Amino acid sequence: MNDTSRKAARITGRVFDPDLLSRCISCGFCLPACPTYAATGDEASSPRGRINLMRALQDGDLDPYDPTLTEQASACLGCRACEPVCPAGVEYGQLLEQWRDHQWKGRRQPPVARALMLVTRLREVFRVLGGLRRLPADVLGKVRRPRPGKPAGAATPEASLMLGCFEQVLFPEVSRAARQLVPELAVPTGQGCCGALHAHNGDTATGERLAHRLGEDLPGTIVTTSGGCAAHLASVLGRNRVREISELLAAGGTTAVPQEPQPPLSKNELGELKVDGRRARVTLQDSCHLRNGLGVWKEPRALLDRIADHVELPSAAGCCGAAGTYSLLRPRESRRILDAKVREIEAAGVDYVVAVNPGCLRQLQTGLRRSRSRVKAVHIAELLAQAVEASRN
Amino acid sequence: MQAPVRAALRSIVGDANYRDTDGDLVPYSRDATPLFSARPDAVVFPADTAEVAAVLELATRHTVPVVPRGAGSNLCAATVALRGGIVLALTRLDHVLEIAPPELLARVQPGVTSKALADAAARENLLWAPDPGSRTVATIGGTVATNAGGLRGLKYGVTRDYVLGLEAVLPTGEIIRTGGRLHKDVAGYDLTRLLTGSEGTLAVITEATLALRPAPRTSGTGVAYFSDLATAGRAVSAIISDGVLPATLEFLDRSCIRAVEEFAGLGLRADAGALLLFGDDGEPDSVAQVMARMADACSAQGALEVSTAGHIAEAEALLAARRCALPALSRLGSLTILEDATVPRPRIAEMVDRIDRIAEGHDLTIATFGHAGDGNLHPTCIIESHEDTDSVARAERAFGEIFSAALELGGTITGEHGVGAAKFPYLSAQLGPDQVSLLRRVKAAFDPAGILNPGKLGS
Repeated sequence: MNDTSRKAARITGRVFDPDLLSRCISCGFCLPACPTYAATGDEASSPRGRINLMRALQDGDLDPYDPTLTEQASACLGCRACEPVCPAGVEYGQLLEQWRDHQWKGRRQPPVARALMLVTRLREVFRVLGGLRRLPADVLGKVRRPRPGKPAGAATPEASLMLGCFEQVLFPEVSRAARQLVPELAVPTGQGCCGALHAHNGDTATGERLAHRLGEDLPGTIVTTSGGCAAHLASVLGRNRVREISELLAAGGTTAVPQEPQPPLSKNELGELKVDGRRARVTLQDSCHLRNGLGVWKEPRALLDRIADHVELPSAAGCCGAAGTYSLLRPRESRRILDAKVREIEAAGVDYVVAVNPGCLRQLQTGLRRSRSRVKAVHIAELLAQAVEASRN
Repeated sequence: MQAPVRAALRSIVGDANYRDTDGDLVPYSRDATPLFSARPDAVVFPADTAEVAAVLELATRHTVPVVPRGAGSNLCAATVALRGGIVLALTRLDHVLEIAPPELLARVQPGVTSKALADAAARENLLWAPDPGSRTVATIGGTVATNAGGLRGLKYGVTRDYVLGLEAVLPTGEIIRTGGRLHKDVAGYDLTRLLTGSEGTLAVITEATLALRPAPRTSGTGVAYFSDLATAGRAVSAIISDGVLPATLEFLDRSCIRAVEEFAGLGLRADAGALLLFGDDGEPDSVAQVMARMADACSAQGALEVSTAGHIAEAEALLAARRCALPALSRLGSLTILEDATVPRPRIAEMVDRIDRIAEGHDLTIATFGHAGDGNLHPTCIIESHEDTDSVARAERAFGEIFSAALELGGTITGEHGVGAAKFPYLSAQLGPDQVSLLRRVKAAFDPAGILNPGKLGS
């Protein structure tokens, strides 16, 4: 790149939505909430420091290919733990997406992320992969494939279950459990990716397009077992179109606005989970985007309290290091965070650690397996489905 | 900064703790103060007092400015490197070295946050009393260096009332220890107090010995609405004249109440001209009694409505109004200038009235909240956009007038934020030429080469 074009690039100045970027008042309240700042102690890897970098990029005060800019755009977990503590209401997650959209344009996008995104576009691949794992037969067998935008059954369903592109391959049992818990959910086949992966990895346009398409394919309220997908879909389609499964079950009803105070799982439907004849001990790992993006964290805890002895993990609200593609892109940093998390889980003396997002589930399973732990990582839907079974025995 | 200095810095702190690329310096170009920014030449993260001493000695030898920095959460541009040089980030020195319950004290490194110290003290049933609004992030080094205040100044005082001793490194590299573990110690000039509030211009604090108090067993909170601030001010006077020294006496003016209600929908009274939050802590019986006396005093002065919280959740709901003040105001525009002019307690209403008129005269939005117990006001100016240079210029003029008004009423240009670069231009108006000149001589005695945080206080 020659000097003239570098200067031109510097003064284009519209990488970020100026309204979003100007919200930050630089108070620094986000510093203690940030896992990467805790690890480095360097302001550059704090939310405020990154916003100052973004401002320098926007205003042309920094070379757009400055190595710190590139490094920090990727070093951020994107966990959004800075958002709930921000007095000025900075939408950091949005800024990070815009940053990566610019920073990772074209060839600069990490190859691993690019490969994953390509895969998600091949809906058929998922159906085949799902088929190999007997997914359609188990989960989708009785549901006819709807035409896009049309209901699955005769009447318009109030809510549809989102299967999730990676989840239906890696954890088909989670959707199975969700259907057991809420049988009235429509489950349209041939679902694509929600686009969260793209939005978090430097392709916001595709991220939005895929979310809209999924919104057309899934009638009514979209129910998801993935906190990350829930937050992305809510940001594109609106909060009211989306319910994460524990949120749905704790609040009651399958409609967007609960009609009755009665939860769909009444007391006598949820039995007690037992391990070795005693009440099971469980702990929850929050999904960052579910907690920080959508403010859902009490709901899964309330459900777990009903079926087992729930122990709060000291760092439950902190990222587990999965962070979407982070564990693949930056394995060393991811593992450092995960190792500390696993030690905490071990110390909690629990039977299960419960996830509300497939990425966290995979990360926790990996960490626990590696340390040969006896604790099992499960999705909340699976545990609740077991509790329903228990009530019937 | 010359290459040999850079190389020497690297060898002192190690490559991993040295930064000097453009991108690495951007995040250290500013602190929490709007409108102030300057890029340093390097940032170093020393591991211990010896490394701090080596950096300072080097800087004096080469006459390179050094700006000590904790979390960078101050509101007076105290940590902006106005003349470039080295930012000395003390965040790696972050250990609570000791909590000594029998002596009611703590010994900490400067990078420990106020909250971390408060938590460590609480585990021993002790209280770290200073609680600036930034307590979760602010470091003890910065808290001492700016003599930070907080929400319970009337009853508990400010940081200076709790600093027993300091370890500090002089700009020339010598390590000194002032004061110690004693509450009574009158040997020598009180350098501990001189360094407290010196804003990193005299020495770099590397350890602090701090007084703790027994933790109060319980606390109570109440809220009263008044038709105007003058009436609220009379209620405050009545409370204190009644012999009560409450832990909490916070107020919001009409603009703040409106902004908070729009932001958080807490159900605050829209017709009120002032909201007074009052509270106390201590033994349960005494707190209950004091709360009742304060509520009575408010009613007697003609409060529109008075209520006290029956339990913690209710107290939290009442406190939310005060906590929401800054978030609510900051959402009204993209530039929030938060100041801290302070006046004698009986003149709060008069001062807020002056602020309102100044704001009107300059066609600005300035809302005021603050600590009614100690006259510490936070006039907060909201400007739609950073790029609105005309409004920014008017705000600067308005704050000049606000500081003058505070001085006229027997107050100060800054109650708790500090002078830094932000209020340096107004300092001589408050201190007068003789004191400013003494400040310069004090500064020269500590820092002959003038390397420590130049452009501030006695520079």
